[in-house]
Amino acid sequence: MATNRDRLLTLLCLGVFIVAFAAAVVLAVVGPPPDLIALAVFGALSIFAANTSVVLPNDSALSASFMLCVASVVVFHGGAQYLGPLLVGAGAGLYLPHLREHDWRKVIFNTGSLGLSALAAAAVYSLVPNSVLESVPGELAAAIPTALTYSLINYLFLTAALSLHEGRPLAIVADELWLGDLQIYPFALMGVLLGRLYVDVGAWVIPLFVAPILIARAAFASYLALRQAQEATLSTLIRALEAKDRYTAGHVERVAQFSELIGTELGFRAPQLVRLRYAALLHDIGKLVVPNQILNKPGRLTESEFAEMRKHEPASIEMLCRIDFLAPIAPSLEAEAAGDHSGPIEARIIGVADAFDAMTSTRAYRRALPQEVAFAELRDKSGTQFDPACVNALITVLERSGEKYGAGHESDVADFAVPPPVAGLGSAGLGNLEAEHEVSS
Amino acid sequence: MTRAARLAIIAGAGLLLALGASVAGSPGPVSDLIVLGTAIVIAEQFELRPAQRAPLPLSFAVVVVLVRAATPSEFVAVVFAAFAVAVALREHPTGLVRRAFVYAERLVEALGAAAVFHGIEDAARSGDARVVVLSALGAAAITEIIICDLVTLVRERRVAPLRARGADLAVVTSGMLMAVGYEGIGGEGSLGLWGPLLFSIPLLAAWYSFELLASTRRNLRQTVYALGSAPEIAGLARPGHVQRVAELATSMGSQLGMTWADVEQLETAALLHHLGAVCLDAPTSGAQLDPVAVAEAGAAMLRASEALAPAGDIVAAEPVLHRVPGTSTRAGGSLTGQVLKVASAFDELTEGHDEHAVWAVEALYTGPLYVYDGRVVGALERVLEERGVLAARG
Repeated sequence: MATNRDRLLTLLCLGVFIVAFAAAVVLAVVGPPPDLIALAVFGALSIFAANTSVVLPNDSALSASFMLCVASVVVFHGGAQYLGPLLVGAGAGLYLPHLREHDWRKVIFNTGSLGLSALAAAAVYSLVPNSVLESVPGELAAAIPTALTYSLINYLFLTAALSLHEGRPLAIVADELWLGDLQIYPFALMGVLLGRLYVDVGAWVIPLFVAPILIARAAFASYLALRQAQEATLSTLIRALEAKDRYTAGHVERVAQFSELIGTELGFRAPQLVRLRYAALLHDIGKLVVPNQILNKPGRLTESEFAEMRKHEPASIEMLCRIDFLAPIAPSLEAEAAGDHSGPIEARIIGVADAFDAMTSTRAYRRALPQEVAFAELRDKSGTQFDPACVNALITVLERSGEKYGAGHESDVADFAVPPPVAGLGSAGLGNLEAEHEVSS
Repeated sequence: MTRAARLAIIAGAGLLLALGASVAGSPGPVSDLIVLGTAIVIAEQFELRPAQRAPLPLSFAVVVVLVRAATPSEFVAVVFAAFAVAVALREHPTGLVRRAFVYAERLVEALGAAAVFHGIEDAARSGDARVVVLSALGAAAITEIIICDLVTLVRERRVAPLRARGADLAVVTSGMLMAVGYEGIGGEGSLGLWGPLLFSIPLLAAWYSFELLASTRRNLRQTVYALGSAPEIAGLARPGHVQRVAELATSMGSQLGMTWADVEQLETAALLHHLGAVCLDAPTSGAQLDPVAVAEAGAAMLRASEALAPAGDIVAAEPVLHRVPGTSTRAGGSLTGQVLKVASAFDELTEGHDEHAVWAVEALYTGPLYVYDGRVVGALERVLEERGVLAARG
């Protein structure tokens, strides 16, 4: 049953569409007819652009339809200067997945709101005196208020719709959506020049313009596919590790997860987070060279077995050094384990994440400790064994989110033949922690 | 100094020079030529790096603008000066001789482009201006790429494939658009330097995507390589075995006309074909791991990921015989599996020593017919002949 909010949203979508449609009808009746070839060219491009995207240096995607709407404002200026941009803008709302899924509410909202945004942009452009538009710098200057108007109207419609759709306060949605993204404005300038060139030189310029964008998009799609293959390769590693050492199943993925949480809290950017995640996933890669019988031995290791076990650290470094973007971190992972914090921040983060997971998961030699005990231990050794900023970041982010790990909160506990003791020596060299911290829980 | 700082200094110096020329009252085009020369220097530091192809510098697109903006003598002066600075500032190649070679290559490419542009423009002066200008600009840009491919052919004895020419198309179309934007056609649509400046954005978007692609490809290869080295570090495979098998198998795959995608999967499979060994319990002393069990364990891990499943299939097919013994029926293994099988067996026999190659190939030929596919052993022989390891048959 539709809620009031849902009904309001439907009304908003219908209202926006009806206003845009009415405006189009009025303009078609009272204004000059648009140049049909220009309308076909820019309308088709607009639909095409809405269904493709261009990647920006910050990894966000931008549809070129914004630029094409600005171009259409220039192309139709002096003729059907409102109707043309309105129709081209509406074309940008025809997103194929929405059409395929018969999601008509989204289709009418997008066509209506983008059409009206383009109409408003055209109205602002028409206010610019022709003397200003005669020079290229003048035209480029006129592109700024034109693009700002388009963005602002689109932003207002989108904020209202999302607020209703998600049931969140208007102010919060408005704050989240606020368009401070200056990277889109060069595209507005490019749109103005594309429009000018189309008017002066003809449709010849369109394929020249579209080809590199399509190629950029195809290369980006290949990049995404390769990134998937990279993830698959890492999953293979994790499966190989799990096949060898069932007691630490899930360990590397949790270390990667905690590392990402710390990195995000410390303000890491997307490429740094990717590097951190890969380093965390691969930090135990050297365990692949340790014989299964030693990794899975339930009792105490002999001296020679322990020496064999310790081989995984240099092996991890040797293998990580073969990956250029992880090579600078690799030697520090071993140094970090030995208490030397002079290495890159990534190694210090992984050191904290590794120790936290070691304490909060059940192993053959000890049951998981409560999260509070792990926090207390991290705080105790902050500044000596662990980097204080990384410790603070992990504790802050977990306390803020309310997520719980450790005794009573484990998601996947291996089925141990011999039940592990409640307390015992930790793999991170942390001693008998529960006794030390005397947690009553 | 970081690349960004270096580029900022070049851009600043170029703009100051252009401003100086403008203030000193030099004719209008001089400052534009200085800006375009500076653009060549900057664009030379960025390359589109498609797979299997020589990198394409973005300066190719700026040269197309310059070829139209400058007179022949101005063009020569700007190109000689700009590429001298550009090549000196490049990170690669290192060494004076190699840099001189790149400089000479760029000059030949630019001068070739100019010759073609003016040749077409002069020959078709009476034709439709748009057709003439666009044809001449397109041909100029294509000329640069053809010369670049020819240089690669001479230097590396490698023929650039005709397919996968997206990067080339991006350079050609962007160069044309930037040139049309600069001067328009038939006196219409001249946007001045704003044209090349803003119409370079799609090309930069393409460059950025290709950079992401190239770095991810490199990371992936290195990750697979690191993972593949685990059996060797654990003492379960001979040192260098998987790398040698990967190199040999990919050459054999290309020799057999496999697609690039198949050859890539074959390389991954070759690098990881012993991975299963690290997951199995160590055999009792003196015993060897069962190769079928190793292949199955490795294949199972790879098959669990959609992207690596084809490589898993190749690993699983490696121990499969070519034919059912005593019959002419194929045993069901794939050709890629047979390539991996033959490459791996050859490396086991030679232990990486070329002097054992003749004996090893003979051993593969004289083994039971049901073990190895004759076509694949033939491909191995041809690869070894090309490498000079085996004497070519007369």
